Formats: sequence, structure tokens, C-alpha cells
Amino acid sequence: MSEIPAVSRRMLLGGAVATGALAAGLIGSAQNAVASSGQEPSRRPGQKSMIGVPFDVRRTVRVGVIGLGNRGGGMIMGWSAVPGCVVAAVCDIRANRVKSAADRLEAKGYPRPAEFGGSADSYAQMLKRDDIDLVYIATPWEFHYEHGKASLLSGKHVMVELPIATELHELWDLVDTSELTRKHLMLAENCSYGRNELAMLKMAHEGMFGDVTNGHGGYLHDLRELLFSDTYYTDSWRRLWHTRSTASFYPMHGLAPIAAAMDINRGDRMTLLRATATAPRGLADYRARFMPKDHPSWKETYINGDLVTCMIDTAKGRVIRAEHDVSSPRPYSRINTLAGSRGIFEDYAGPAPTGGRIYLEPDHSGHAWRDFSTYRDEFDHWLWKKVGDDAANNGGHGGMDYVLQWRTVQLIRAGLVPDIDVYDSAAWCSPVPLSVASLAKNGRPVEIPDFTRGDWATLRQGLDSRPTDMPPVA
Amino acid sequence: MRSQRLVNRLRVMAGVAVGMIMLVPTQSVAATTEEPQPGTEVTISPVDLDGPTISTVEVTVKNTDEQRLHHLKVTFAGPTGWAVEPPVREVKGTLGTGAEAATTFRIQVPEMRPGFMTRTFTATATYQGGDGLGTATATRVQKTGEPLPNIQAAFNNVAITDESNTLPGNYDGEGNSFSAQKLADVGLTPGAQVDALGAKLTWPNVPAGTKNNVSSAGQAIALNGNGSKLVFLGSGVGSGAAGNATVYYTDGTTTTGWFGFPNWSFAPADAHGATLIKSTDGRNRPDGYGNAGIAYRIFANSIPLDPAKTVELVVLPANGTVHVFDVAIAP
Repeated sequence: MSEIPAVSRRMLLGGAVATGALAAGLIGSAQNAVASSGQEPSRRPGQKSMIGVPFDVRRTVRVGVIGLGNRGGGMIMGWSAVPGCVVAAVCDIRANRVKSAADRLEAKGYPRPAEFGGSADSYAQMLKRDDIDLVYIATPWEFHYEHGKASLLSGKHVMVELPIATELHELWDLVDTSELTRKHLMLAENCSYGRNELAMLKMAHEGMFGDVTNGHGGYLHDLRELLFSDTYYTDSWRRLWHTRSTASFYPMHGLAPIAAAMDINRGDRMTLLRATATAPRGLADYRARFMPKDHPSWKETYINGDLVTCMIDTAKGRVIRAEHDVSSPRPYSRINTLAGSRGIFEDYAGPAPTGGRIYLEPDHSGHAWRDFSTYRDEFDHWLWKKVGDDAANNGGHGGMDYVLQWRTVQLIRAGLVPDIDVYDSAAWCSPVPLSVASLAKNGRPVEIPDFTRGDWATLRQGLDSRPTDMPPVA
Repeated sequence: MRSQRLVNRLRVMAGVAVGMIMLVPTQSVAATTEEPQPGTEVTISPVDLDGPTISTVEVTVKNTDEQRLHHLKVTFAGPTGWAVEPPVREVKGTLGTGAEAATTFRIQVPEMRPGFMTRTFTATATYQGGDGLGTATATRVQKTGEPLPNIQAAFNNVAITDESNTLPGNYDGEGNSFSAQKLADVGLTPGAQVDALGAKLTWPNVPAGTKNNVSSAGQAIALNGNGSKLVFLGSGVGSGAAGNATVYYTDGTTTTGWFGFPNWSFAPADAHGATLIKSTDGRNRPDGYGNAGIAYRIFANSIPLDPAKTVELVVLPANGTVHVFDVAIAP
């Protein structure tokens, strides 16, 4: 059963994408997955967990990029700036973007990458190369699963922008394909490497919040102007998602840091999800006020709720609230709130420079919030101490992008275990289809699958890692 | 004879030995010859605190009683918020006299913090048979880092301001503070000696408007000396300004005492067992001196010491409403 109505690839891009040959032999591996049942499909022969599996050491990490729009085109410079990393190939359905990306890299003094473009299956040609270690995927959401699976099947590690897939059987299939190919697939969750988020995580592990009981996160970003732009999202792909389904499309930026602080898949797991959605008002109202009557958007009907909220239970009795709202006028926030028996942290609510506020026992009393700055300094993650200055110079989103890229390259070059694995990625993206399932049942709870197949209770390190050096570049 | 052995054993275990194991029977100390005596020993292996890491800990249960021990379950816990896997272990079979059962747990250890820290780990065995007590607990305390050299190094709050500049003050979380002028009126000038409960304490020898007291948050402060009690000079915010202070001795043992202070203004002067030392008239508010006619007060309180031992440091209560101006050992 499809949780979200299928999008016509031809309608969007005017072409067909052939991945059947690549996927043959693995298609159907997740057919046993039952949406929202909480039952895990059994592993196939030869299929083993990827938990704790280190990367094969690579002296140089060669990145192939699929999707050179706003996100992919912006990230290529960051990849190239990381010591020991080179953008080896670039790909986009639009050939002009490919040439432009290659030109820009060359102009900056980096090696000119191999170029693939002009058709919807150009990426398949790129994946045939044997000089790519990591595929970075930044295409529209509807292609993430297809491109991610094909990249795994081609024998490459994969980093996928949010979400890695939009349907439950696709999430299971990516887990299974990773386990079968023995290649890692990671969500490119840059916010997991946010400076406040990582400090919050370290404080949780120290016990500063006592026993953590609840957390809130989300993606509250007024995207209306960009959604109605004729140039920002190619073919208006992101706005069209709001015509297809009522779902929490993109809660991961806020959910992932909270999940990390609760050690989801590393001692706890998300078990139940119940969703609510407000009426869809924001996009139609914006269109009525700002879009000319001959704009293509007037043929659209927006059905996704402006604010979709997922309440998530965990096995250890915690509760997570994950929100998604890109259709309403409001300042930006990922919420980032974590609370427990001894205190609370709230992001986007405090003074500069961190924007965080905090209240902890025994440090504080008097029912008054305190500035987060001193705590962020004390619990600053080693990654920010080490590459924070480089991140400020090379990366977008406050440096989170570069920290994500630097760390990913370091993990591969040093042969370490990834901070974010396919199980984290699948769990964090599961509210996309599960919110649809819950809303279809008037908000009743639906079970969240255990993508680890029982290994969630085992304590293991993730983003709260030990300091390590980047291997020297020869 | 049996109860005398129990008393001797408990006497040995009166203080928690840092880095060592203490078996604490849950039975009353006032044992009689009819009551069972502890025959179950629980030990916790050293914990690797070089985090962030996942450390493995072994908890061993030994049956020294002549009766077999069975239906054994072992729980292990670290500091609050530290995840443990699994929370409980069940041991199959029985333990004869002298037999041991070793269980392992994994615990999430955070990055080591600067400064003095104590980390407390607890293991509890529940069982049937054996000594008949049904439960035995071991506690392991591990120290890292060094204490602050003196109380001045722990000052983190501005409790005293000059009436000409009250804005730096924030004794109570609402911007109020003691008036330096009114404190001087009752003899509390910077560096003044304060005699209280047999101890000689010193009023903070720093200018008004600067950090001059400790809002207690478990700070460890170095001390040196012997005496009968440890005296704290301070005052409270709210009505719950009390908590445990832990004294560490040079021989590695500890004692813990509970003390508190009344609210600086409205609580009975003997609340929490405190003794009134000085009262001042009014207080400084963000907009200047005010509340004349209302007393704002300084108190003393104490916890007992083991006079036979040399004090190494004290860990203040983990309660930010307990404000301490000085601490000293009384003979």
C-alpha cells in the first residue's frame, strides 16, 4: 500500500528513469514489511546488520554528486574543501547545471569532475564508474529512494538529503539493501551536527537534564515565497508535494537531534506515532495575495495541513513532539527542546549568540531562564572546536554543512563507524509515511518499525564521539 | 556474638570508602541474635570514566552464608541520566557457600568534565535464601579532577551591592541583594571575622557588586584540618534551601551531613536548624535601596565531622538556593 500517492516522474521531468536492471534481484526484499504494523520483515540469506560496521579505509574520498540544484550545487564546494576529498563526478538531469558545476570547481582550482547529464538516467551512467566512493544525493524527494538504492547496488556508500525515502516499504528496502551490499547509507542530517544540538546531546549524556523524559523538535520555516518561486525549486517540486498528501514531509531537522539525545536505536527506540494536522490555509492564502491569476499554481489544490504534529512514544517512556510547518508566516525554528527530571533546554528562545536558554537544577533556581552560552562552551563538541573556523568559512547553514561533510570524509578516510547509519536514517524519516497512516485513522497511534530488528537496546556511540584526527593528506 | 559481629561490620562501613565497595544491609542496625546477619557480598568493578565511551562493569555477588542463595537478580545504576544496559540481570541456579556470580553491565559514560567530580555507582542484589535478608547493595564512588582551592574560587553570585550601584546584584534571581552599607552597620565589612558555632569564618573580602558567595551546585572546595564540625555561613532563597554536604577525608573515606538556611527574609530564624548571625535592615533592589524595616539575615549551620580524621574537601549541596559566604572547621 502506498502511503503517499505516487508522483508521475514523466509529469515532473518529462522522461523515464531506468533502474530496473540495477535493482533486479533486490526488488521486493521489503515486500513483507507491513505499514505501521511494527513487525519487522525477516532478513534474507547473507543479510547482516550494518551496526558497528566501519568504513573501508580510503586515502582519498571520491564523491559523486547526483542533483545539482540549490542544495547539491551548493554543497560541491564544501566537499571539495574537506582535506582528502575530491568531487570526482557530478550529475543532473539538466546538462547546463552539470557544466556549470564542473566549471565552478575548476575555476576554484579543484580537479574538473566527470560530467553526467541531459537525461533522467544519467545518474545510472555515473554509477557505473569505479572511481567513486561516496554518492551524495540532492535530488527532489521523490527520487531519493530510487537514487539511493541504485547507488548502494553499484557498490558505493551513500549520503542522501532529507528524506531518504517517503514510504515505509522504501525505508525497509534501503535498510535491506544496505545490509546486503554492506555499504552504508546515511541521511545528510546536517542539523545533527549543529553546535547547539551537539552540546545538548553531550549535556544529556552527562545527566545535566536528569532522566530525559521529553523533547520537541521540528522544521518551522516559512518557505512560502520559495515554494511559489518559478526558479527556486525545479518544476515547483516541493510545492507539489502539498497537493498530494497530508503528511509531515520534513520533520527530521528537529527530530534527529532529539532522537540522538534520547539514544534512539542506541538504547531506546521510537514505538508509536500519532499525528495531527491543521487545516491547509497558508499556501492558498499566500497565493491569493501574491500570485497573479495566470500563475500555474492556481490549478493546484493544497491539501497538506499547515502544521503537522507527530507525537512519538519511546520504549523507555519518553515522548517526542515533532512538528512540520513551511506554510505559515513565522520566524525560523527547529525548536530543539529537551527536558528531564532536572532541567530543560530550549533553542530559538534565548539571547545571542547561541539563541538558547536553559534551566537546570541544581545550578539554577527562581523559575527564571538562564543563557545557554556558558553551557555550550563547556559542552562544545570536539568537532566544532576542531573545524568550527573552517566551517564558518566553507559551509552554509551556520557551518553545519561543512561539519557534516568534514566528519563524513574523516569517518571514511580513517575507517571508522558512521555517526549516523541506515537505521537512524530510516527511523528519522519514518514519520513521513507514518504521519499519513495515523492521519488516515483520525490520529490514532501507529506502530513505528524497529529497523534495527532488535538491536536498538544495545548501547553504542553515535554523534557523541571521541575526538579523532583527520588522516594526513599525502 | 553474631550480633556483635554485625555491629563491628557496620562500624567499619560507617563511611563510604572512595573507590571501594560498601555492602549495606537493608536491615536495621539494631540487630538481635534472632535477626539474620549479612552473608551476601556485592562488589562493583572499577568503571572506565574516560568518556565518551560505553564502559563495561562487572558486578559480583558472593554468598558467604551457609544457606544456598537462589533467585538472584542484580541491578546496576550510575549517575542520574547515564544509560545502563541492561537495567537488571537475572542469575540462574543457586549459589552455595562461598560461591560467586559475576554479572556484566554496560554504561554510557560521558566526556570527562573539568574540575572535581564524583561519580556514584550502585548495584543491588535481590535474592531468596542465603542470609535471608533478601537484598544487599554496594556503592562505588569514583573521583576525577581536583577541588577548587578555596571558597573564593567558587564564588558565582553577587549577593552584596553598594546602595549607589545595586544593579550588579542578583542574590535571589530577581535582582535583589544585601546592602553593603547595612551589612557594615552590623559589622559585616569585607574581610571581617565572623565567629559562629565555634568556628572562625571570614566575611567575603571582595568589593561590593562583585561575586561574593556560592550558589551551591555541588562544588568541591578544598579544606585542611581536623575538628568536630564543619560550619557554613550563608543564607537561603526560597524555603527549601537545604541539602547534603559531603566531606572527604584524607584517608579516602567520606561523611555526609544535611544542613540548610532559612530564607534571607521571611522564614523562622531557626528553620533547617540554622542559627541567626546577623540581621540587616532592608535590601538593595534593582532600582536602589528599599524594603526598610524588613530584616534580611545571615545564618550559620553545621554538619558533624569525624574528629579523628583530616578533612580534605567538602562538596556543597546540589541546591542553588543554598548560598554560602564561607565555610570553616570548628574545633
